[in-house]
Amino acid sequence: MNESLAQLFLGFQVALTPINILWTTLGGVLGTIIGMLPGLGPATGVAVLLPLTFKMGPVGAMITMAGVYYGAMFGGSRASILLNTPGDGAAIASCFDGYPMTQKGRAEAALAISAVASFIGGMIANVAMVFIAVPMARFSLKFGPAEYTLLMLFALVATAAMSKEKMLLGFVGMIFGLMIATIGLDGLTGVNRFTFGVLELMGGVDFLIIIIGIYALGEVFKSFKTVHDPSYKMQTKFGKIRFTREDWKRSWPAILRATPLGFFIGALPGAGGTMAALMAYNNEKSLSRHPEEFGKGAVEGLAAPEAANNASSVGALIPMMTLGIPGSGTTAVMLGALLMLGLQPGPLLFTKQPEVAWGMIASMFIGNFILLFINMPMASVLVRVLSVPAKVLYPLILGLAFIGTYAITNSVVDFFILILFGLIGIFLDKTKIPTSPLILGGIVGSTMETSFRQALMLSDGSPKIFYGSPITIVLIALTLFSVAWPLAGNAIKKARAARAA
Amino acid sequence: MNRITRTLAAVAMIAAIATPAFAQAKGYPSRTIECYAPSGAGGGWDLTIRTVAKTLTETGLVKVAMPVENKAGGGGAVFLTALQSMKKKDNVLTVYSPPLLLINLNGTTPFSYKDTTPLARLITDFGAFVVRKDSKYTSITQVMADIKVNPTSVKIGGNSSAGSMDHIQFLVVAQAAGVKGLKQVQYIAFQDNAGAAQLLGGHIDLLTTGLGDVRGLVESGDLRVLASTAPTRPDFGIGKDVPTCREQGIDADFLNWRGIFGPPQMPDYAVKFWRDALGKMVKTPEWQKACQTNGWVQNYADQPDFEKFLAAQNTASKNILEELGMAK
Repeated sequence: MNESLAQLFLGFQVALTPINILWTTLGGVLGTIIGMLPGLGPATGVAVLLPLTFKMGPVGAMITMAGVYYGAMFGGSRASILLNTPGDGAAIASCFDGYPMTQKGRAEAALAISAVASFIGGMIANVAMVFIAVPMARFSLKFGPAEYTLLMLFALVATAAMSKEKMLLGFVGMIFGLMIATIGLDGLTGVNRFTFGVLELMGGVDFLIIIIGIYALGEVFKSFKTVHDPSYKMQTKFGKIRFTREDWKRSWPAILRATPLGFFIGALPGAGGTMAALMAYNNEKSLSRHPEEFGKGAVEGLAAPEAANNASSVGALIPMMTLGIPGSGTTAVMLGALLMLGLQPGPLLFTKQPEVAWGMIASMFIGNFILLFINMPMASVLVRVLSVPAKVLYPLILGLAFIGTYAITNSVVDFFILILFGLIGIFLDKTKIPTSPLILGGIVGSTMETSFRQALMLSDGSPKIFYGSPITIVLIALTLFSVAWPLAGNAIKKARAARAA
Repeated sequence: MNRITRTLAAVAMIAAIATPAFAQAKGYPSRTIECYAPSGAGGGWDLTIRTVAKTLTETGLVKVAMPVENKAGGGGAVFLTALQSMKKKDNVLTVYSPPLLLINLNGTTPFSYKDTTPLARLITDFGAFVVRKDSKYTSITQVMADIKVNPTSVKIGGNSSAGSMDHIQFLVVAQAAGVKGLKQVQYIAFQDNAGAAQLLGGHIDLLTTGLGDVRGLVESGDLRVLASTAPTRPDFGIGKDVPTCREQGIDADFLNWRGIFGPPQMPDYAVKFWRDALGKMVKTPEWQKACQTNGWVQNYADQPDFEKFLAAQNTASKNILEELGMAK
């Protein structure tokens, strides 16, 4: 432990040089902006930076890229809260209670609590990174195909079951998402599925397009009738970016619970920020004493996913730093950058290039402070977007949605998919099918399916592999619990109501 | 009008007609060159095209910008489709390797290497068969012996889809080692380069991958390379310390060549320029250094030789896929 601290000290010596503070700030700000724009996620942001990194050198490159990564987690929630349009997958869960807070006129508090939750989540995860990165990485290796299948099943079932009374609709959404995930080239056999000869569909439907379609386009389609409605009220007066004592009292336990969860999910290669944020939200809702307030502007429902997605971005760096294995799309690009700069990522990075590894870790502590201080004044500017009249704002959102979609794959086919999902968004709204299980299904569906098949190939077809290890048994128990808990809650409520009557 | 003036007029006229063509060829390239990696950022293709773009611009061989874009999907098939709509363009470059042939032969895409303009082969990487440090295997022949007894007894994983490179390179070696019933050999495809993590976690027994892809974990001693698919050991990089299949008595090798391609029907002046530029590039010290750090074996071949090589490779791959029943 002392050795880690000594190394961290060395890291701070690197990170606190003026040029590296500049890179930290630059990366963080760039990440925040990229995170806010729909379609542009941290992976794209880091890829855009790649050519510049030759000039920065390995330390500067890693510091800036890490800054973009966690900066995007700070920024992703801005549009979720203000416009109900997540800037990135990891910010979906921030819509659930962030946007209702805005509708209640509490946008300032929402922006403030999300920045603070991101900050605390990031900081705690950084400390964990310093001390337990290696054991964490070794533990994450225990996750084979069977464990991944069950982990994703758990995340999906918990998200679908979250909608309590509407549990059935939740599962309908989940199945629909899983169906979308089957489109494209099957990685195990190389067979095209549901592509109907459209070669652009071979890569599958990008989940970011689903998100932009359902949320951004859906939001516009839903409200275009009411644009000229005189009763449509715009916010014209803005308060300070600050939250109340009551908000804080409700948020801090949520933040402390969500952070370790996000950190752990992030450290599993392939799981990612979206899953971390949704699981944190589910977890908070099932623990809450006021679950009925969730989805109507419960502040802890915003704080939890925000802390979780920041912590997960730190966790995702662990497999990359300690083993040289990409933990997410963004870290895959960072690995590529290390190679381009002539460094060999892998377990020896910490001993061979301690200034790069520890310099980056130290810079993340500094970066979190910088982002907190930047985000507060920036929020007071951003919140004024609410004073823009709808007839100006909605065309802008529409434009951004199409640009964002084109930025993902540069393919015109995706415009049609985008519009289709915009219409599906309305349909889901009318039928009250929750969107989060659908989106999570779209994100993890293909990984879950391939993991399932990989597991069966490993076990020569025996299902025993799914309950053969302690991790699988824990995951099965959690999955069953996540369905039983809300059902039991409903039953108790009914019984009480019956007795009272 | 005398003969001289008539001749001059004719010359002037020809010159006037021909000028645009000359100007185009002479001033080429005058606009940005779009470079594409048919995979996500961070993979082998991505690293190659980015290194090429960087070396060409840094050495001044190319004076215009060469930004690299990633077009991932379908093991390279998605970009191959997009490339068809860039027909006759003079400012598009991309990189491919054996999957270019395999994804066509296994039916993933209708387009083949003939729907591109091969410009030059640059480098070769080799396949590697890797196990965990505590594995019972110490040579590739032991693995093959076990597979001969029971084809499903060794769990083999790789990072490319079934019927593509990582799978095929293992089967080429298995076939040469005398394994019958190649179809029964179990190959588990992992996405997003998750194979190494699965091997480290003990979920699979052997990983078939690129020699360069596992360098960090081999250097740290977490993984061991049983054999590389190089014909002879390269004299640098990690390949230097790794026995080849041939050394262990299996007469097979697999070359993971990488080359630069243009869009179909790339104009002649552009083809000429890039053949020339790439030919000069491979001689620069900057390129030598890049190959050294990445462990790439230089294997430059100009267009005519490269095209012959592609045709031969295509036939060889077709035979293997037919044997597997995976050819379409």
